[in-house]
Amino acid sequence: MKTKIFFVLWLTVMLPMFGCGPKMVTKSTEFPLMYEERPVTILILPPMNETTAADAKEYYSTTIQEPLAFSGYYTLPYPITSDILRMEGIYDAELLTDMPLSKFKEYFGADAVLFTIIKQWDLSYMVLASTLTVSIDCQLKSTDTDRTIWEYNGTVVVDLSGGSTGGGLLGLVVKAIATAVSSALADYVPYARQANYRALSSIPYGKYHVQHNKDQNVQIVDQTPQETKKN
Amino acid sequence: MKNTMIALISFMSIILFVGCAQKQMYYFGDYSKTLYCVSKDNNAEAHTNHQQQLEQIISESKTNNLPVPPGIYAELGYINLRYGKSKEAIKLFQMETALYPESKPFMDRLINKAEVKQQPIVNDTSELISSKTSATEKQGGAKN
Repeated sequence: MKTKIFFVLWLTVMLPMFGCGPKMVTKSTEFPLMYEERPVTILILPPMNETTAADAKEYYSTTIQEPLAFSGYYTLPYPITSDILRMEGIYDAELLTDMPLSKFKEYFGADAVLFTIIKQWDLSYMVLASTLTVSIDCQLKSTDTDRTIWEYNGTVVVDLSGGSTGGGLLGLVVKAIATAVSSALADYVPYARQANYRALSSIPYGKYHVQHNKDQNVQIVDQTPQETKKN
Repeated sequence: MKNTMIALISFMSIILFVGCAQKQMYYFGDYSKTLYCVSKDNNAEAHTNHQQQLEQIISESKTNNLPVPPGIYAELGYINLRYGKSKEAIKLFQMETALYPESKPFMDRLINKAEVKQQPIVNDTSELISSKTSATEKQGGAKN
């Protein structure tokens, strides 16, 4: 009887793990520099938009602060910083690739800057369903050392028609939101936020999070930003 | 024995679910939505809505005993600065620093700006005027 209990226990613990197909790594092995540099203040740069969707930039940039703050970081207020950068003639992070990042430490007091590329913002219409695919690459660079200390991709596929998604728990949540708005004027803010949450899921927690410096062994899905595969 | 097993299993599954639930750190309300309208429509109504959203986030955070999220005080301060209300702006920038000390370098810069330029810092004055009038209209009615 006792062995049976243990078996059941073991099953309950292991089952969710069997469900995850992709290779897993711990946060500390994947992003050791994050634990070394421990950035607190993050400056979000205007995203680079590689898609043809003109709106994508707005959707992205207005939904990124929230998940970053929830990850425990101090996010410099994007509406102000982007305004100031715009006055300096910087609309796009592309213009900054060769600039020494220490400037951002000097001016904004930022420990790290977040570069993002919107890889995909595709609406596809089919007979029975229409889907939205949002894919975002994130890269965090230190203003002290110019090193890339964290990078990840977040991709979300949303079924706008409210049909079945098969995206697991996330799919269900997204579906619920989707059904609510599908017929009305399309409101993509929740999906953009979802993609941002997905992209930030692997970032080690920052100073304001209870898990700060305790999440080294948390497992995350191993991925490199250029590889996008999802649901 | 069977009972203990059932209890154990349900206990385990509860633990699994509890692990998923995120403890609320901040209250953001409809922040991203109103901010999106600001950057998309960029009209007076959108600006006023967003300002009210910021004020609501502050009051709601206080009633729920949560810290005001990063950047909210600063953003409200910046809006005040755009309207030429330097004193309020400076006060809000200082509140941001008090809550998040790492914002000090940037807030000090904004405070300097507010002290030096006792005038709006927006390039496009027509946009400023339109958002200003609607803000005063709203303020007259809502009185905050």
